[in-house]
Amino acid sequence: MNEKTIEVLARCAGLEKALKEFPDDVAAAASSAGKVTDHVRATSVAPPSLEPWPPMVVRT
Amino acid sequence: MSDLHWMSASAAAAAIAKHELSPVELTKALLARIARLDPRFNAFIRVEADAALKDATAAEAEAAQGRLRGPLHGVPVGIKDIIDVAGLPTTCHSKVLADAAPANADAECVTRLRAAGAIVLGKLSTHEFAIGGPSLDLPWPPARNPYNRDHHPGGSSSGSGVGLAAGFFPMALGTDTGGSVRNPASACAIVGLKPTYGLVSRRGVFPLAFTLDHVGPMTRTVADNAVMLAVLAGYDPLDPGSVASARSGSYARSLESGVRGLRIGFVRHFHEVDLPADPEIAAGLERVAKTLASEGAEVIDVKLPPLEDFAAVNRVILQSEAWSIHAEWLKERPGDYGRLARRRLMSGAFIAAGDYVLASRRRSEMNAAVDAALREVDILLCASAMDPPCKIEDPAAVERTYMRQARTPFNVTGHPALAMATGLSRDGLPLAAQFVGRYFDEATVLRVARSWERAAGTDALHPPL
Repeated sequence: MNEKTIEVLARCAGLEKALKEFPDDVAAAASSAGKVTDHVRATSVAPPSLEPWPPMVVRT
Repeated sequence: MSDLHWMSASAAAAAIAKHELSPVELTKALLARIARLDPRFNAFIRVEADAALKDATAAEAEAAQGRLRGPLHGVPVGIKDIIDVAGLPTTCHSKVLADAAPANADAECVTRLRAAGAIVLGKLSTHEFAIGGPSLDLPWPPARNPYNRDHHPGGSSSGSGVGLAAGFFPMALGTDTGGSVRNPASACAIVGLKPTYGLVSRRGVFPLAFTLDHVGPMTRTVADNAVMLAVLAGYDPLDPGSVASARSGSYARSLESGVRGLRIGFVRHFHEVDLPADPEIAAGLERVAKTLASEGAEVIDVKLPPLEDFAAVNRVILQSEAWSIHAEWLKERPGDYGRLARRRLMSGAFIAAGDYVLASRRRSEMNAAVDAALREVDILLCASAMDPPCKIEDPAAVERTYMRQARTPFNVTGHPALAMATGLSRDGLPLAAQFVGRYFDEATVLRVARSWERAAGTDALHPPL
């Protein structure tokens, strides 16, 4: 995620104040989110029809 | 009686029931120890000495009349400060809620503890909102490890782990969304159980991530953990995640049954391949496996998805759900968060809805994978932390701690998981292992944990205070 994209997404999320006061933290948050979403996308082989909800099947 | 501060909850309750110990005497002894030692360790955000002594006096009167409320009658407990206690603010260790109004009611888990006779000593340190810490930029200082106060005590239920290891109370409540009961249990050489998702009510607990949050018992002994879990477990119709048909009951009954005939799946690749562990951690895990095998268990290697996959799914879900809780505060008052919590909680603003669904779909597959492994074996043995506790004022080392662990898989899947000591490192720091069971089979998790505790004497570990 480049700097411009991070800024646009942060503004869309309403994080103008954080962008102004804590730009490094906003950048770190975006970077962290990018890493984990990239990993999930890269490793997921689930068919699109797989039921994602409820989040777990708890057997009793 | 001497050494009241190391007395187990079960032993204290038994002595109180037999009129050999006064709840007031016990509470006073613990309050005196807290006053003397906690300024070095910061386990507490607030100590409720007057209220605790008042409750202890009432418990003493009831005991004198032979009226015992339950199995924890007169036994003090510490409460992590993201859990509501009636009349006290729930600060979540954050400036955001530092001036919060007192809670109107006890959380359901606190209600159950009080009904069993427990006495609330106060509210305990946590990482900010159970995610950002240990931090030096918050209204209260971070808790420090009693084995060496320069070291991290684990978190986020840091005050719970520290207070148990320091002998401030024999039991505490923690919460676990990415390992926050089991991390301090590992770092402080105590026993921390994350029960099956849905077994213990989360009503009255400030959420971090709805589908990953668990409340769990933290104690110094496995037997106390079993007693505490029996008190906490049960259906709560007002907690949407609570499971109506959940099995609960006595977890202590089979504690001493041993492991003969049990099949134990050793998840070696977690600490040998996925995240190669410190040699002392690996040696501790081997000791556990060999000991349990020598006591009659069959130990076989088991393979699960890679730790990195579990961690990514946990984070996408956690950060998305946490953002939904904190968005308005982060927009309006980002400066009221400590740096670590602000960074971690803002991540959810950058995760698309589709990625959350994708992670939830991947989660279904992970549940199935762990479930399949647990059809072949009765229980899993694996690492908890990959390293002994790091220096608390080394931010890079602390950050690494949260990456190098094997606890998040079981928040993703909801299986019961218990962390406990395997011993101490050459430097005198706690080393730990983790046991994971089938859904709602906490009894077997505790039984295996007790076998290891009995063989290794881990319940006798105390820091040199």
